[in-house]
Amino acid sequence: MNPAIDTVLSAETPEGIAISIRPAGFAVRATAFLIDATIRVFFLMTCATVLAAGGRFGGGLFYIFFFVLNWLYPVIFELTPAAATPGKRIMGLVVLMANGLPITPAGCLIRNLMRVVDVLPLFYAFGIVTMLLRGDSRRLGDLAGGTVVAYRYDVQPAGSLADAVPMPPPISLSRRQQIAIMAFGFRVERLTPERAEEIAELASAAVADAPARLSLTTRLVGVARWLHGERRASAPAGSSAR
Amino acid sequence: MTALEFQTAHEGLWVELEQAIQLPERKLDPQRFLALYRTCCEHFALAEARGFPSAIIERLSIVTARAHQIVYRQSDFGIARIARVLLNRFPAMVRAHRGYVALSALLAVGPAVVLGLAVYHKPDLILSIVDGSTAAKFEKMYDPSNEVLGRLRDAGSNWMMFGFYIMNNIGIAFQCYATGVLLGVGSVYFIAMNGAFGGAIAGYVASAGFGGTFFSFVATHSAFELTAIVLCGAAGLRIGRAVLLPGRLPRAVALELAAKDTSVIVFGSAVMLVIAAAIEAFWSSAAWVTPTAKYCGAAACWILVTLFFLRRPYAD
Repeated sequence: MNPAIDTVLSAETPEGIAISIRPAGFAVRATAFLIDATIRVFFLMTCATVLAAGGRFGGGLFYIFFFVLNWLYPVIFELTPAAATPGKRIMGLVVLMANGLPITPAGCLIRNLMRVVDVLPLFYAFGIVTMLLRGDSRRLGDLAGGTVVAYRYDVQPAGSLADAVPMPPPISLSRRQQIAIMAFGFRVERLTPERAEEIAELASAAVADAPARLSLTTRLVGVARWLHGERRASAPAGSSAR
Repeated sequence: MTALEFQTAHEGLWVELEQAIQLPERKLDPQRFLALYRTCCEHFALAEARGFPSAIIERLSIVTARAHQIVYRQSDFGIARIARVLLNRFPAMVRAHRGYVALSALLAVGPAVVLGLAVYHKPDLILSIVDGSTAAKFEKMYDPSNEVLGRLRDAGSNWMMFGFYIMNNIGIAFQCYATGVLLGVGSVYFIAMNGAFGGAIAGYVASAGFGGTFFSFVATHSAFELTAIVLCGAAGLRIGRAVLLPGRLPRAVALELAAKDTSVIVFGSAVMLVIAAAIEAFWSSAAWVTPTAKYCGAAACWILVTLFFLRRPYAD
C-alpha cells in the first residue's frame, strides 16, 4: 500500500507473512483515555468513601490504591490477554509491539512510565504533538517502549461476489488485470449502477460483446466469477467468497 | 488452482483456526493450534502471491494476525522470572551503567552537601527553598519529644504513612527516570532538586539541635530510598544521552534501546522503594527504638545494598 495515503504498518513474522497493523489516531485514543479517566475517578471516589470508614489503616490503603490507579492501572490491564485498558477495549484498540508481537512486560512498563513526559507541559501536549507528527501515531512513551496502539483485528471483511453467469474473458488477461476485475466483482454492490457501468467501460476489452441484453457491468462480473473459479453457466446463486 | 478451488479445499482449516482463536488459551491444543497457524500462514502467503480476491486475503490476514498474537504471547510471567530479573539482571544492569550511576549520585549528593552546610550555618537560607510554615513543620517533626518521628503526631498511623511513602517516593523516582527523555535535563533537574531539598532540610533540622533524631531517622531507609532514586536518575540520564547523542543509530532506535536496557533498573528501584517505605513507616519512625539500634540497622542495610550490587553470581 502506498505509505503516502495510508498509515498501515506492515510487520513480517517468522512464518514469512506480513501482518498489517492499523495504528489508532489521536481522536480515538483521546476518547479511550477519557473513558479510562472516568473509570479511574469513579473508583477513586468509591474507594475514598469505603476506606474512610477504615480510619488510618484505610487511609494508608487509599494512598496505595491511588498509587496503583495512577501508575499501574494501564500496566496491569495492558498485560492481560486483551492487551488494552477498558477504555481502549471499548474503542476497539489494542497495544502491540511495533514489530507486531504481543506487548512485552518491559515495553508496557516503559510506555506507561513515560506518561510523565507525555503529559508535559500541559494536557498531554508532548504526547499529542508527537502523535500528530507521526504517521503511526506513537507518543514518546510508545517510541521508548517500542509499542504502538492499533485497531483490534476483528473487522470482518465485507463484500461478496455479485450475481452473474460466469463467462470466460475473450482475451488472455495479465495477473494484475485479473486481480482488478475480481476486485470489481466484490465491490460492485457498493457502487451505484451508473458508476459501476462507467468503471466497466474501462475494462470493455476484457468482456465479450454478447449477450448484448446484459449490461456491461453484469458481463464484467461474469468474467470476475469465471476468474474466481466458477465454470458452469448454472452456478448456484449466492455462492460467494464466504 | 482458482480461488474457488483453493477456498473449497482449505476453508475447513480456516474455520477451525477462526474458532480456536476465540477459545481461552488454556483450552487450546498447542500442537494442533500451531499446525493450523502455520498452514494458514502458508495459505495467506499463497493467496497474496496468486492475487486471490481480497475477501480471502483479508480473512486469512485477520485470522493469522490474531493467532500470531496468541502464539507469541509471553505467558512466562511467573514468580521465578521476576525473581531472576530482580536478583541477577537488576544488579547486572546497574553495574553496566556505573558511569551514569556515579554521575547521578554526584548530582544528588553535591547539592545536598552544599545546601546542607549552608543552611546549617545560616538557617535563614531554608526560606529560599521552602516557606516558613513548612520549615517549622519539619522542625517539629524531628523534635525528640515526639512519640513518632519524621511526621506530625496527627498525620496518621504507620499504615497510612506506608501508603503515603510508596505513592510519594515511587512517584518521584519515576519522574527522575522518565523526564530524562527531555535530553536528560529533566533527570538532572529532579535529582539535583531532591538532593538540594533533602540536604537543606537536614541542615535546618540539625541547626535546630535535632540532628540526632533526624539522622537516626533517615539512616536506615535511605539505604534503599536514596539508592533507588539515584538509580532511577541514572537510568534517566542514560535515556537523555540516547536522545541527545544517539551515535550511529537513528534517535528513535537509540531511545528504544536505552529504554529497554534501563527498564529493569526502574522496576528494581520500585521494589527497593517499597522496602524503603516499609522501613520508614514501621522502623525509622518508631521512637521506642534507640538511636544506637537504628544506626546498627542502618549499617546493616547499607552493607546489604552495597553487597547486592557488587556480588556477581554469574558473569555479566
